[in-house]
Amino acid sequence: MQIIIIGDGKVGHSIAETLIAEDHEVTIVDRSEAALQRSQDTLDALVVKGNGVNVDTLMEAGAPEADILIAVTMSDEINMLSCLTAKRLGARYAIARIRDPEYNKSLSFLMRELLIDYVINPERIMAQEISRMLRYPFSGSVETFARGRVELMDFRLGRGDALVGMPLKDLYQKKPHLPRVLFCCIQREDEAIIPKGDLVLQEGDHVYVAADVLTITRFFQHIGKNTSDIKSVMILGAGRVSYYLCMLLIDMRMQVTVIERDEERALAFAEMLPEASVIVGDGTDQELLLSEGLDQFDAFVTLSGLDEENIMTGLYAKSVGVRKVIVKNSRDNYMDLLGMIGLESAISIRQVTGNTILRTVRTRGAADAAAAVERIYQLMDGAVEALEFIARPEDDFIGLPLKRLRVQKDALIAVIVREGQVHIPFGEDVIRPQDRVVVIVKGNSVECLSDVLTRDEA
Amino acid sequence: MNLPLVISLLSKLLVLEAGLMLPALITALIHREPSWAALLITMGIVLLAGLPLMLLVKPASKDVHAKEGLAVVSLSWVLLSLAGALPFILSGMIPDFINALFETVSGFTTTGASILSRVEHLPRGLLLWRSFTHWVGGMGVLILTLAVMPKLSGRSAMLARAESPGPTFSKVVPRMRDTARLMYAVYTVLSLLQLVLLMLAGLPFFDALIHTLGTAGTGGFSSRNQSVGAYNNPLAEGIITLFMLLFGMNFVVYFKLLRGEGRAAFHSEEVRVYWILAALSMLTVTLTTLPRYGQFATAFRYASFQVASIMSTTGYATTDYVLWPQFTHILLLLLMVVGACAGSTAGGMKVSRVVMLSKASAREIGQAAAPRKVRLLKMDKKPVNEDTLRSVLVFFLLYMGILFLGTLIASTDGHDFATSFSAVVSCLSNIGPGLNLVGPSGNFDIFSPHVKVLLTFLMLAGRLEFIPLLVMFHREMWAKGH
Repeated sequence: MQIIIIGDGKVGHSIAETLIAEDHEVTIVDRSEAALQRSQDTLDALVVKGNGVNVDTLMEAGAPEADILIAVTMSDEINMLSCLTAKRLGARYAIARIRDPEYNKSLSFLMRELLIDYVINPERIMAQEISRMLRYPFSGSVETFARGRVELMDFRLGRGDALVGMPLKDLYQKKPHLPRVLFCCIQREDEAIIPKGDLVLQEGDHVYVAADVLTITRFFQHIGKNTSDIKSVMILGAGRVSYYLCMLLIDMRMQVTVIERDEERALAFAEMLPEASVIVGDGTDQELLLSEGLDQFDAFVTLSGLDEENIMTGLYAKSVGVRKVIVKNSRDNYMDLLGMIGLESAISIRQVTGNTILRTVRTRGAADAAAAVERIYQLMDGAVEALEFIARPEDDFIGLPLKRLRVQKDALIAVIVREGQVHIPFGEDVIRPQDRVVVIVKGNSVECLSDVLTRDEA
Repeated sequence: MNLPLVISLLSKLLVLEAGLMLPALITALIHREPSWAALLITMGIVLLAGLPLMLLVKPASKDVHAKEGLAVVSLSWVLLSLAGALPFILSGMIPDFINALFETVSGFTTTGASILSRVEHLPRGLLLWRSFTHWVGGMGVLILTLAVMPKLSGRSAMLARAESPGPTFSKVVPRMRDTARLMYAVYTVLSLLQLVLLMLAGLPFFDALIHTLGTAGTGGFSSRNQSVGAYNNPLAEGIITLFMLLFGMNFVVYFKLLRGEGRAAFHSEEVRVYWILAALSMLTVTLTTLPRYGQFATAFRYASFQVASIMSTTGYATTDYVLWPQFTHILLLLLMVVGACAGSTAGGMKVSRVVMLSKASAREIGQAAAPRKVRLLKMDKKPVNEDTLRSVLVFFLLYMGILFLGTLIASTDGHDFATSFSAVVSCLSNIGPGLNLVGPSGNFDIFSPHVKVLLTFLMLAGRLEFIPLLVMFHREMWAKGH
């Protein structure tokens, strides 16, 4: 695809690097000569100097032919205007990074009026990522389908897990109380397997399961991967990420304490989030942390602006026995180092932003090939795709029980969502028009639901 | 320096060169010339050296940094020329090593200066190889490598930038490989067009091919001693005049035309100055030579061809301009220094550099009158980066410095000033003929071996625009680290 990146900062540069490695044609626009020079020397991309809002600059960058424009400059306003200008010039899809919460309140209006197709709010994404790490400390990724009703999650089977050695078809007979989830796919060593009933789960398997949010939580509780053991969280710093994170955690009924040095900010924070207890004080002061009962908390999240402060207080929290410590870190190359000193859960806003943009671009690329797809999520580096379709009345499998339909090899029907209810399909179930159907397929050969499901003529 | 990486890239280039010799070999076989053996043996040697290295040397890191890029560019040109000289030596046509190397470097650098007094004696296979080096060297061997070899590294643009002539290098599409392919596609189409036109004008296929290859690379090797003048064919002369100027134009213009941005294509200041300069020079030379030819049309026919040939740094001739008035000599000499556009196949200082230098001088003079006034130096309505300006100034200094030092060394042979000076200018700007003894009727065999070695070096230095070649002699290049 032809991709234009506006803003050659750290995020812009690292996205460009990955996209070029994935064989996209990338053009980078920036106002800084020095940044462009560096990109020109190290990346196989076209660079254009200029303001991303300027029509001439966008024309030079090839906006009329662009498949995707990604605006990640320092300024929200430039990002939004770049998207609008590029879309008017003919760009097909526009992604903008918008950070100011002011704009986020009227986001859907802005997106509609400014022709922005996807908005990235790094602080909110970061908060979501942290909340996920707190909820499912063992899971690597979560994707949602059917407007958030279905969650797709992965976990690794460890030694002695109850599911190891179990053929899938006997699973629910032997464990009748196990909440019913769908085993979507399994990564065994480097191979992707779409499971059939006779598949036996093995130790070390990377398993992807799908179900509605409640069921999936119960499923994990049942197999001993307890999800809700974190009930209280202490957060260092009352910035934007903390704000979004607190909202998410309070929704999940966790008890939240925020420590902020600046009194004014602390007050404003307390006003916005009355459910959180906000403490004014120096978070690096160990005395203060202990007097607020740091050692009694289940988790500690450091979100101050200084890496050093985050790392040191994080280490201290570990030393007093806090179970889950998450550290914000802005230097990507320190990630491995942090793992070495015991801070495995380090998170960088740049990495999170970059990953989200990349995932959107990949989805976009796949969706380009298959116009009927509502949503695509790639698993295992694209070896397996999860696709969401809406069934149409003219499809010839409508109303027939699934057991009388032929399902394409290496594919399975994961969930059917009807009127907001999530069903894990069985042989007797039928697909009706307007049902949302999530299909798991190996490779990327599927463009519409009829490719997967056909009438069994025999 | 990452030596395995440099070796691996150079070995790919050698394999590519063996492939490039194929048309010459086929020609030699068709015409049953004994020189086929020399070509085949050379291909064998080149493959024997290149293939094992290409297959065995696996560099740990594929990142081309500044050092590797520069080393690959300069070493590859030296290596290609050394290997390219072998067919001339092995066939016994140019038995002397220094002469053969001079001829080959003259080919690859698209200079077209020859030490041969009787070109017609060369068999067709070798004639084709000699002219084919023009075609490949014109657009660039590394750019060809980038176009045909599997994806190199993300930093491969560095190679193209070091090889592509001009103060700045701009890709036309995001991927370097696609850019290289597009460049060669445009180049090939233009060449084919010229070939067909020349044949329609009445030239035999082989002659048309040789002169197309020479024009496209703005080289100037001919299959005739009297160059294009031998055909006495005004139509063919006109076609070659036009194509010499077209190949001397910045190739970005063609991409813009292809994209349908016709107007934008000619907004480039460099291209405008280039055409104006060419037109004015043609007119001036026509008027100066009018008394000699009597008729305006005849004078224009010879003047336009010679001006286009010198300005585009091709070096073909339809007449011996040494016999023209002194004024035209100096004018042609100045055009030799200027050369044609950046991003073309031509040599010389390049029109864009001359424009920038003039603007910089004007700015400096204006600054003396109004010291506090802010003045921006603009090219094509965009401000020129100070780094680019500095590199242009340094290029000018190097060009002038090397020109005078080179003349000093060349003069040890005892020829007159015009001969020595113009021979050095001609080699530095990759033109071919110079003045007096090295004029269109003369040849470079008059120089002693040490001057030939110097001129060979100057041709390479001029083609690579100094820095890549000179940096090889810098201590920093071989220092430890990286």
